[in-house]
Amino acid sequence: MDFNSIHQRLLAINAPGVLSADTPRAADPEDKADKGRAGEAFVLIDRSEALNFLLAVRDDAALAFDMLVDLTGTDPDAEDEDLWLNLHLLSLAHGHRLAVKAMVPKSNAVVPSMVAAHMAAHYHERECSEMFGIHFEGNPDLRNILLPDDWIGFPLRKDYEFPKEYHGVSCE
Amino acid sequence: MSLLQNSFEENVLTTKVDWLLNWARLSSIWPMTFGLACCAIEMMAVGAAHHDIDRFGAGAFRATPRQADLMIVAGTVNFKMGERVKRLYDQMPSPKYVIAMGACATGGGPYYKYGYTVMKGVDRIIPVDVYIAGCPPRPEALLEGLMKLQDKIRNTSVIRKPARTA
Repeated sequence: MDFNSIHQRLLAINAPGVLSADTPRAADPEDKADKGRAGEAFVLIDRSEALNFLLAVRDDAALAFDMLVDLTGTDPDAEDEDLWLNLHLLSLAHGHRLAVKAMVPKSNAVVPSMVAAHMAAHYHERECSEMFGIHFEGNPDLRNILLPDDWIGFPLRKDYEFPKEYHGVSCE
Repeated sequence: MSLLQNSFEENVLTTKVDWLLNWARLSSIWPMTFGLACCAIEMMAVGAAHHDIDRFGAGAFRATPRQADLMIVAGTVNFKMGERVKRLYDQMPSPKYVIAMGACATGGGPYYKYGYTVMKGVDRIIPVDVYIAGCPPRPEALLEGLMKLQDKIRNTSVIRKPARTA
């Protein structure tokens, strides 16, 4: 299925949390910030319904998004109030893909864990959590993967400040 | 030497303690099996047949710090690994030597500015004997570094010199 049919199907089955869909388009050359937003078409969902959305599109026979390819975050700008949560889904049965985004406010970066829908989400959520500071509620083990356990700050946020020292070793 | 010359049986050699100990040390510097990043690939190339670090007696890569004399820090050291590097260094028996191989281990390398977790040189946690430039250094450069380390060992002395009186 192409993007438009997938979107129609999402509306038809009343998939939880679907807010809007972005159609494929070229980036606006006048708007610099638009460059990162155009490109692959995506479905925007409500973050609190992320798990229910994944379950719905996984279990629907026509969509059958049975594989979570990627789960990551984006911090578009230090001034921006929202982080993006990006999901990439693949249907091995039908061979179609879908990009999904959810806005996560920095002031309350809590998202339900998607491990119940896809086990692949587990480690992705851990990395996303340490790098962007998004808390995935219900993840069975949300420890850091790459960073030390006592690391301060979320490095992939745009307003991240580099540490001055770590355990007595200067970073300058 | 002349005093002792020809005063023993034929199977006895006379030498200097410093020379003998240094010769023994520099001829069998056993490195630790320890690769952190892409420099380790070059280190493996040095260990393989073409460059053959065994010619210098340093081909026995030990899988434990307790049997190793030399730590070749081959790659990027981040803070999380740095504590392990320090612990491994502490577990090595003296005399022990450290080669900082490549730009990362020497001073942070390409991660100097934006590598928030990268230690800007392994010499911030352990003493380094030889620095090797390159990103990564060619195998010949590592051999050069090893020879430099051998030169350094050759010039050390175990004999305590009498204290100078002022």
